[in-house]
Amino acid sequence: MSRATIWRCWLALVLLLTATTASAFVPLGAFNLVVSLVIAITKALIVLLFFMELSASRALVRAFAAAGFFWLLIMIVLTGADYWHRTDVRAPIDMTTSY
Amino acid sequence: MQASANETYLNATVGIRSWLLTTDHKRIALMFFAGITFFFFIGGVAATLIRFELITPGPTLGSADFYNRLFTMHGIVMVWFFLIPSIPTTLGNFMLPLMIGARDLAFPKLNLTSWYLYMAGGLLTIAALILGGVDTGWTFYEPYSTFYATGYLILAITGIVVSGFSSILTGLNFIVTTHTLRAPGMTWYRLPVFVWSLYSTSVILVLATPVLAMTLLMLIAERVFHVGIFSPQLGGDPLLFQHMFWFYSHPAVYIMILPSMGVISEIVPAFSSKPLFGYGFVVWCSIAIGGIGFLVWGHHMFVAGQSLYASLAFSFLSYLVAVPSAIKVFNWTATMHEGWIRFSAPMLYAFGFIGLFTIGGLTGLFLAALPIDVHVTDTYFVVAHFHYIMVGGAVMGYFAGLHYWWPKITGRLYPDYWARFAAIVAFFGFNLTFFPQFILGYLGMPRRYQVYPPEFQVWQVLSSTGASVLAVGYALPLFYFAWSILKGPRASANPWGATGLEWTARSPPPPENFTKVPTVVRPAYQYVRGKPCMQAGDV
Amino acid sequence: MSDRTLGFQYATPAQQREASTLGMWTFLATEVLFLGTLVAAYLNYRIYHPHEIIEAARHTKIVLGTANTGVLLTSSACMAMAVRSVDDQARRSAVWWLLATALLGILFVAIKGYEYFEEFQEHLVPALNFDFTRYGPVGELFFTWYFAVTGFHAVHLVIGIVIVLIAAGLLAADRFPDTMSVRIIGLYWHFVDIVWIFLFPLIYLAGRAH
Repeated sequence: MSRATIWRCWLALVLLLTATTASAFVPLGAFNLVVSLVIAITKALIVLLFFMELSASRALVRAFAAAGFFWLLIMIVLTGADYWHRTDVRAPIDMTTSY
Repeated sequence: MQASANETYLNATVGIRSWLLTTDHKRIALMFFAGITFFFFIGGVAATLIRFELITPGPTLGSADFYNRLFTMHGIVMVWFFLIPSIPTTLGNFMLPLMIGARDLAFPKLNLTSWYLYMAGGLLTIAALILGGVDTGWTFYEPYSTFYATGYLILAITGIVVSGFSSILTGLNFIVTTHTLRAPGMTWYRLPVFVWSLYSTSVILVLATPVLAMTLLMLIAERVFHVGIFSPQLGGDPLLFQHMFWFYSHPAVYIMILPSMGVISEIVPAFSSKPLFGYGFVVWCSIAIGGIGFLVWGHHMFVAGQSLYASLAFSFLSYLVAVPSAIKVFNWTATMHEGWIRFSAPMLYAFGFIGLFTIGGLTGLFLAALPIDVHVTDTYFVVAHFHYIMVGGAVMGYFAGLHYWWPKITGRLYPDYWARFAAIVAFFGFNLTFFPQFILGYLGMPRRYQVYPPEFQVWQVLSSTGASVLAVGYALPLFYFAWSILKGPRASANPWGATGLEWTARSPPPPENFTKVPTVVRPAYQYVRGKPCMQAGDV
Repeated sequence: MSDRTLGFQYATPAQQREASTLGMWTFLATEVLFLGTLVAAYLNYRIYHPHEIIEAARHTKIVLGTANTGVLLTSSACMAMAVRSVDDQARRSAVWWLLATALLGILFVAIKGYEYFEEFQEHLVPALNFDFTRYGPVGELFFTWYFAVTGFHAVHLVIGIVIVLIAAGLLAADRFPDTMSVRIIGLYWHFVDIVWIFLFPLIYLAGRAH
């Protein structure tokens, strides 16, 4: 990876950082989270592909890199499948019992 | 590197330092074996006391609190310090490099570190159990475990976290070794199924164990600092703890059973003198079980307050995992069809495994069914089911593998007559112990209770009787294995007529495993009219 | 910069390099799950307590957080430059880039420490001085999570700083084992950066638009 590529990546990362911080102040409702996560994924991909050299790596190494994130996604999606559809009545919060 | 003909990994260097600082995977495997046998004994003592306690409908040995600590100790020790590490760290550690034609694992020092972490974790937890025990059950459910449980919970959990890092290191080591250190000619589809099973197991170890570590660390934080994380009275959700606990602990069941399945896949062709039927199916079913095993954990939470939508999804996914498991059973059976079957001790254990695992698997389908599970949740039905998988399956497989590779590990033979006797005793003892528990569970006996209605006593006594038979079955190997080390006849390099690379090395192997790096020329399990064709070298 | 002696279990240096690379990536996969557990917890609690979590997150210091993200992103670029210099056999410049990486890491920890200090003054630290009447129990839930996740991240970063400083020292003394190791250290450093990339929007950006 050339020096120029490194600093171009850095510039892209800093611009994305500015964009994500700015977007947080625009009222989009639930889409604020979506926008910020999409930008975070983009930033992470830049780091993974260029700084961590996955763009020049064999498919095997990329698969190793992807595995952790994929399994984390399994956890998030399947726990989310529960939380999105909860209809239970919650116990009241009562801090006196624990102290 | 010219080794003398008598030099083995056992006598190459001597002294306690040569063991405690060794990086030889074979010696580390033996050190793990010592630790695992110790913890199996501790867990077994707890099991014996539990069965003793349950002979009478009322309290027999002690208070309800004592009973709580007893089954917690049994669960924690057996799950984390026996079942999970048992086959990977002993047989896997010993055999993986031999089976792929390597001289050691990829990271030998990491392997030794793994043993120290395992022992440190085990001793921390044992210390907690001796100092006063833990009464939460092995699942540490919230919020009981943070604000109400007494005892040395933090110490016990710290031990589990530490030993979890041992699991991670072992899994990492196996994965990298399988990828990088295969001998020339050892392509993926020539690998023995045991190696594939270990690979799938390692993936689970590496990806699931960190979740348990983090979850338990959060539990410790909550208990120590009295801050809200999972406790409902502080705004948390106890179900989140259960989700994360079972994200690890359900795949952990596959950590226990997959290596056993691998062992059986080695033994069945060797003692049927026939190629393994449907090698590709067995291999990909191992991988599929490892993968699907991550998608089913919610079936532990059907009655816990999880949303119905999630329960339905998890119920369906739980059914799915039965498919690859069943395919494997069919493949082992088909391998034996028209084979030259020898009824030696390892094969008898393998028979036991197949039968008991099938019962365990089929009752698992009952529990995957949402409405039936609601009926039998937290009853002896569940207890019987998972013991059929973990003891009938995983432990039988462990004993099968131990008997199969014993001549390779020690260079000695054991008396086959006694070994066959022990296998049969264990099989009948096991069924007598746990089959009555299916009936008890169906009748409504809840788990984790010290007292029960008098009409259940006949089943409980049957179960306890079976437990004593089972104990004899598990104790016998101690004696004839000890005899074998001292006086057993010398084993040849390939006493069973198996085909794997490990059987081309001397028994016991030299420190560098192979005097010359083997070149693999054919797939695993090749037999011509009952005669083995070794993976390396001539027929 | 010579290649280190070959481990006896390896047949070729290429095999050994392959093993180090795969080993590091496997380790990073475990780290994804380890820290990812906390991310999953956060996301589920945001569904569980949709308003309270966002309300609590507004008490975090967005200026410091954004600045710190910039610091860490820059440190990653420096790390990449160090790897580049090692590839070019430019030992001295590699040492300087490693030092720059470590210094930016230290700067991050310093800013983080100041942030903790401000939060302490605002009675936002659970178990020490959390003000329930002002921030509510779910606020405490959020800040417990916040201190846990940033704490684990900081520990990872400090470990990274120590390793990078050691590598710089060995490289300066020309006693570095081999070129591969800088790459492996780099992978770890970039990973710690990626963790922060995901934590940043979850911690600092929630609920700013109200």
